[in-house]
Amino acid sequence: MADLPEKFGGRQPSRVGRFLGSGGGGTLDALPPIVRRLLLPAVVILLAFTYPTWREWFTEVPVFGGLLPGIGTAVIMIVFTMMAVGLNVVVGYAGLLDLGYVAFYAAGAYTAAWLASRHYEQVTFHFGSVGLAEDVIGIHLSIWLILPIAGIFTAIIGILIGLPTLRLRGDYLAIVTLGFGEIIPQFVRNADSIKGFNLTNGTFGINPIDSPGFGSGLGAIGLPESYQQSFDRANWFYWTALLLLVFTVFCCVQLRDSRLGRAWIAIREDETAAAAMGVPLMRTKTWAYAIGAFFGGIAGAYYASFKSGAFPSDFFFNISVFLLCMVILGGMGSVWGAIVGGLFLSYLDQEGLAKIGTEIGIQDVPKYSFGIYGLLIVLVMLFRPTGLIAERRHKRELEEGVHDESLYGAQH
Amino acid sequence: MRKRGLLALFALIVASLALVAAGCGGDDDDGGGGGDGGGEITALPSSSCTGIEYEGEGEPDYLIASDFPLQGSSRTQTIQIVGAIRYLLDKQGWKAGDHNIAYQSCDDATAQAAKWDSGKCSQNAQAYAQNEKVIGVIGTFNSGCAEIVIPVLNQAPGGGIAMVSPANTLVCITEGGPGCDESQPDKYYPSGTRNYARVVAHDAYQGAAVAEFAQSQGIESVYILNDRESYGLGVATNFRNAAESVGIEIAGFEAWDPRASSYEGLFRKIGNSGADAVFLGGLIDENGAKVIRDKVAVLGPNDGDVKLLAPDGFTTQQTIDEAGEAAAGMFMSVAGVPIDEFQGEGATFAEEFGATLGGAPIDPYAIYGAQAARILLDAIAASDGSRQSVIDQLFQTKVENGYLGTFDINENGDPTGAEGAVVGFTIYKATDKLESEATISPKDETVQAARGS
Amino acid sequence: MAEEAAPTESSPLRPGRAARFIPRSPVGWLGLLFVALIVLWLGRNLVADPSEFFSIFFIGLTNGAVYALVALGYTLVYGILQLINFAHGDNFALGGLVASTVIVSWFGLGGDPSTGAVVVGIAVALVIATAFSSALGTTIELVAYRRLRNAPRLAALITAVGMSFILQDIGLVGWGVSFRTIDPLISNDVAFSIGDVGFQWNKLTVLALTVPVLLVLTWLVRSTKQGKAMRATSMDMDAAAMMGINVNRTISFTFALAGGLAGAGGLLYFLHFSSIRYDTGFQLGLIAFTAAVLGGIGNLSGAVLGAILIGLIEQFNEGLPLWSPGSDWTRSIVFGILIAILVFRPEGLLGERTPEGG
Repeated sequence: MADLPEKFGGRQPSRVGRFLGSGGGGTLDALPPIVRRLLLPAVVILLAFTYPTWREWFTEVPVFGGLLPGIGTAVIMIVFTMMAVGLNVVVGYAGLLDLGYVAFYAAGAYTAAWLASRHYEQVTFHFGSVGLAEDVIGIHLSIWLILPIAGIFTAIIGILIGLPTLRLRGDYLAIVTLGFGEIIPQFVRNADSIKGFNLTNGTFGINPIDSPGFGSGLGAIGLPESYQQSFDRANWFYWTALLLLVFTVFCCVQLRDSRLGRAWIAIREDETAAAAMGVPLMRTKTWAYAIGAFFGGIAGAYYASFKSGAFPSDFFFNISVFLLCMVILGGMGSVWGAIVGGLFLSYLDQEGLAKIGTEIGIQDVPKYSFGIYGLLIVLVMLFRPTGLIAERRHKRELEEGVHDESLYGAQH
Repeated sequence: MRKRGLLALFALIVASLALVAAGCGGDDDDGGGGGDGGGEITALPSSSCTGIEYEGEGEPDYLIASDFPLQGSSRTQTIQIVGAIRYLLDKQGWKAGDHNIAYQSCDDATAQAAKWDSGKCSQNAQAYAQNEKVIGVIGTFNSGCAEIVIPVLNQAPGGGIAMVSPANTLVCITEGGPGCDESQPDKYYPSGTRNYARVVAHDAYQGAAVAEFAQSQGIESVYILNDRESYGLGVATNFRNAAESVGIEIAGFEAWDPRASSYEGLFRKIGNSGADAVFLGGLIDENGAKVIRDKVAVLGPNDGDVKLLAPDGFTTQQTIDEAGEAAAGMFMSVAGVPIDEFQGEGATFAEEFGATLGGAPIDPYAIYGAQAARILLDAIAASDGSRQSVIDQLFQTKVENGYLGTFDINENGDPTGAEGAVVGFTIYKATDKLESEATISPKDETVQAARGS
Repeated sequence: MAEEAAPTESSPLRPGRAARFIPRSPVGWLGLLFVALIVLWLGRNLVADPSEFFSIFFIGLTNGAVYALVALGYTLVYGILQLINFAHGDNFALGGLVASTVIVSWFGLGGDPSTGAVVVGIAVALVIATAFSSALGTTIELVAYRRLRNAPRLAALITAVGMSFILQDIGLVGWGVSFRTIDPLISNDVAFSIGDVGFQWNKLTVLALTVPVLLVLTWLVRSTKQGKAMRATSMDMDAAAMMGINVNRTISFTFALAGGLAGAGGLLYFLHFSSIRYDTGFQLGLIAFTAAVLGGIGNLSGAVLGAILIGLIEQFNEGLPLWSPGSDWTRSIVFGILIAILVFRPEGLLGERTPEGG
């Protein structure tokens, strides 16, 4: 750690991760280590939580003010960033290229749809539901309960997909995941009558899905009973999404520095060597899948609740690739990179491109979006393969070309 | 040490959350309410919407928004709807009664999806609900998007926001009963009161009209294909039900994959099923031209042994341009009468608005868009300016000699008691252009049957 | 199957050709059962209505021949670089779009043109589309992949995905969202019949065009000097370089060849299937890649076999009257087969075992 230049202090992006990471730095020596380590994340989080407030101050500023994302957009940005951070565990940490991450997003969204909507008319079961009359038909669990359920359910799906496929290496694995990413949406679309049982309501999707909320009891301290009926709907969704993102990032950072995280990175660097050193390959890889899926599931469930519906047409292959772009752009293996990449690309997708187009007078900019993303990926890969915010370990290996498998190398 | 770091982090988060919550608590009070016409208008987010458009005198009192997919394959239609709304506002001097009305056009599509996007619909709906100056929304184009937007607007502060759609045809948005889930349509209206109306007849009418037409052509057995999208599957299902009720046998019901490169095998199977007609529930944009070509290649021309029927997803000149010779003889239906047969106000509008298009052909949806906007503006004109009152007025609507004829809006929000364009269907036959073949107003019992059981 | 990892196949005793198909694990038997069910299903339909079966077989065969042209491009590039060239499918689509412009806009074919005009038009379109896609493929290799020669394989794969996006967008901006379509130039009439099975002119033409291409390609790779250089490079790049083979030129040649196939495939696709648009290549690329994997990636005959099998599976599933899941499930079946092959038999039907497959 000490070999990195210190003169840039906390502003150098690649050092950001260190504050949440394992080691302390030598910069702000005067402060106690914990404060030093947590200072930057704390400031970032504080700024993020107060965004709805300070966004207002800037709306009048020309150009910049206009480009700030709306709160609703910010929620979607955060949800996609969560998925990017989850995907980063699979792709960045463990080096398993996953081209079917959208399947996890779908699993999460449908968990929320099954457990918090009127889809199952046969039963009426309420547990912690908010903003609904007692006699509303269907299963209605509290969204707070559904988020972990969706995570666990999706993790199980991840394990089921992983078990037969994870012993494949490299690009073969990528293709298998791609296959799953194609099959699952079609299954969802067709599963409106499995032997007469309506599992997913097919093409029409399931909606509306219940909204999160705190029930009537906590209204006294200013918490909304149900987000949907709140005057501040977008803000509440935003703050909750942010909390979930912080939770995700926190877990991922902790995981990276854990025993499991080191095992992932060992596998990524050299599978054979890792196996020789006693790293259990299958178990370690399956964990990466399960954990990546876990966060994808939570994000999917939350997003479904936010937009109050789950539709098969939401889950197409491009989303998987789009998420991958976020991870690559930010820097594979770097949590902060995935966040920056995720926020940046989903911002461009949701409103950035349209706004920039308006600023420079070209209406059709979104039409070029795919070319722009493609160009970004290619340029990053060619000129800054470590991504915008390089993971420390990755940086060295990519820049010095020390890696076991090279593209043009002889067969292994 | 790590444990303590953790705790500190969470403490910080909770503290900041509390801070923000406290800071914003004060703002909650002015979020709702009907608004009294005073105060400045705040724009809907520029991420989805155009800037505020207002060309009338003085300051605008209220805002209306339209919500359509302005990117992707529906663009040709939605652009004309938006144009029709602007044209209408301009003609009325940006006024509805005594109220000055500003307008914003919002987009519910993303470039990635190239069609409506559920996240975007939800986001737009929230923006309307939270902007107290918004007293009416014209939209949406897609029924799926409407399913998301309606509940949000229904629960919007101040009694909900009135919404009028020129294009949603899904049956169960407005009325329950056969073919709908038990929770439909109530699940779209959590507040218990209605806030949504539309000026198109729902898909059961179209299914019934095509089925009656098929019967009149002597068709005995039909094979139904759909594109597995909500519109295509919906209209295919309604057609199936209606066809059964008029005594046509259903030889098969299956999807076509818009991404497949060939459908020859599929049509061979259809040929073997003994069907003497094929119905295509879907859109021309879902590789429809290839489906038509393969149908002709395998089963012969459309005026031969096996007829080809399609709903309004195919009823454009584009079908003939793309499918070429293969389109000849296929039957396509569309709600309403042909544009050149519109009468009264509708004809005037078509003429005047058509002149602003610079030579492009006018799309039937432009007229539906104008009618929807007209109904909303009239409701606003008759209201006291509160959201609740606009909704009340909306359900009092009686259109006389409107663009689409004479009809009422019933308590479900559907057009009813109609004469003229609104529930009639025109069947076109394709030659090198669309030629009208028949006009059908389906019988009530067929419409009921079309909804299914 | 868990932790034992890769080196099982490096055992000194290689099983004989027949023995390779005998499963070695319960998972393998499961795979065999799956195959048996398929055979049963096909047999049932064959017995029920043989002429229908063979008519559909012929449709599937023709479609498969078109897929094969694209699948070969994947397999060529993979054979030499172990890179899944995602951009290949989009190169194919651009080739088809260019051909559509030549045929529709320049020659105005469509409707009822004379035979001479059709032949000239198609010939010119073939030259232009092939040259275009060839140049495009080579350029992409030169600009993007070559620089990543020493980067991890993932980097090149991701770059290929990026390139695919760029090409798709070029297609979108250049040719719009709608399908480019054409009335069939080659008659759909039956040329001759065997029993009740009709053989149409247009399908025979497709076969008449693809078979020579495949033969020439095989000859090129097997027997020419350039082909030898390709094979040498694919076996060991460093050794090949030491033996005086110009590796860069060989790789460029491979990409030019793959691109040429893509261009020709694009033209043929447009003529045969009569509609193409910017994202056709992406869809078909997935199918063609599946075909290449099915046959054993890196293996030329494998790619052709795989492509034909995929063509047949698609049409059988949609066209056979008995016990067919139907077109609702076609994609799931194609990709299910891809997954099954990769899990049960990663080296493909004709391929050699590689460490990639584990």
